[in-house]
Amino acid sequence: MIVTEPPRLSNRDVGIGLRLPHVAEIAAARPDLGFIEVHAENYMAETATLDRLLELRRDYPVSVHGVALSLGSAGELDRVHLGRFKALIERVEPMLVSEHLAWSAIGGAYLNDLLPLPYTEESLEVFCRHVGEAQETLGRRLLIENPSSYLRFRHSTIPETEFLTETASRTGCGILCDVNNIYVSATNFRFDPITYLDSLPTTTIGEIHLAGHQAAENVDILIDDHGSRVAPPVWELYAVALKRFGPVPTLIEWDTNLPALDVLLDEVRHAQQLANRHPYAHAA
Amino acid sequence: MPTLLELQLQLRGAMLGEITPELVAEIETVGLPAKARLRIYRNHLVTTLSAALESTFPVVCRLVDRRFFAYAAHEYLRQHPPQSRCLAEYGAGLADFLSGFEPCKDLPYLADVARFEWALNTAAAVRETSPLEIEALAAIPPERAALLKIALQPSVSYFASGWPIDAIWLANQQKEVRPVDLASGGTTVEMRRADEGFSWQRLAPGIFAFRRALAEGLALGTAAATAAADPAFDLAAALDRLFAERLVVGLGAC
Repeated sequence: MIVTEPPRLSNRDVGIGLRLPHVAEIAAARPDLGFIEVHAENYMAETATLDRLLELRRDYPVSVHGVALSLGSAGELDRVHLGRFKALIERVEPMLVSEHLAWSAIGGAYLNDLLPLPYTEESLEVFCRHVGEAQETLGRRLLIENPSSYLRFRHSTIPETEFLTETASRTGCGILCDVNNIYVSATNFRFDPITYLDSLPTTTIGEIHLAGHQAAENVDILIDDHGSRVAPPVWELYAVALKRFGPVPTLIEWDTNLPALDVLLDEVRHAQQLANRHPYAHAA
Repeated sequence: MPTLLELQLQLRGAMLGEITPELVAEIETVGLPAKARLRIYRNHLVTTLSAALESTFPVVCRLVDRRFFAYAAHEYLRQHPPQSRCLAEYGAGLADFLSGFEPCKDLPYLADVARFEWALNTAAAVRETSPLEIEALAAIPPERAALLKIALQPSVSYFASGWPIDAIWLANQQKEVRPVDLASGGTTVEMRRADEGFSWQRLAPGIFAFRRALAEGLALGTAAATAAADPAFDLAAALDRLFAERLVVGLGAC
């Protein structure tokens, strides 16, 4: 293995999740950010919030992150929702479009959480069919994010990384590698996060997510709450991921207990510094 | 081994109500029991949906206090989980739910406050279109005027209550809530989208009846007749104001 001239992670490669309380400040100060990422479902109505996003879109690339397509649901995709997703994409023209390895709706009820799938052949078939249908309807390649997990099913037969890899192989989708999710799941289920990273197909990684987590009360579980700074071991894992995947666009997610915008920008700078200390190494 | 559909229906049950032994049997328990694992997801569901409802119904929440609101929201979401996947669109049925919710029976105006807030939320999510100028009326032959239909901005809605809901809403925008005289009577209000969200105004009974009738698709003559009970109603002035407020987006015959 040789270390080539490192493709450095520039300001253009690190973004933040856009949350309402920061919109006015970003619009006024126009901080140096690679991109902003929004949850698709928060911008599907003709609200003033959408107008603000469309204004910011003039200055920043936007990544659209879906949280409710429920690609893992048994049965059919919600075509109305998919249509609204498509309409948003046509307006925003995002640099990236992503969703989750999860499900959240069944029997007409939307459960507003990224619920875990059993990793079985049946799930894989359903999930790939839905990813393929969504990509076809949206006319875009999707990135699929690995989940943070608090439970696993006894009848799962496929390792999560294999499930993701197989989905990418069958549908042509990419993978959104959420480094914090890997750390949270690895801690909750006592597996080695680096082995997990090493099992992901390098060339399919289209984005990295970083976020904070916290320990649950009274139980030995980490909760992926996106409510604090990125934890030191997650930064370490990020360095490993960059070394393995190269300088992919990286997002700082912070969705609860929102801090001042400066704190997020400080996390962005930290991601850039770290990336530039860990040049991409790949086999010659 | 359950099918994916069977498992997901069981999980839906666990998220909204009871955790079944069949579901527990499917979950790995090393380090933590299955029920505790399921509760992590359920807590997230309940917390985020309650927060979404609180964000849409801040005045209802303030009137009953946050703890009680969280309790009511939990009961509501168990019975009426969201159908839309956009959380801002969750809560259409909260007013009806509250009107039949026994612990709220001492607050008879509460359901109407919820209806008011829901209508504001709805208005904020519909874009307005280019309004017509009053000159557009000149093209209408006088003999057709009574049958004319006037299309209003798509974001507009009309709200009536036997309680002073607008005064309650306004009082609860302040840090210190001043008492509202519940005996001061009802209210008739128009809501619509505005640049930064929504706006609303109280309307006199005649203007309110007139505009609401137009919004319901009634012809100009019929709408004017519904407003005639208000002696202060003046059709020419009402039409002037309708256009001046950029409310008219289309004119058509019956």
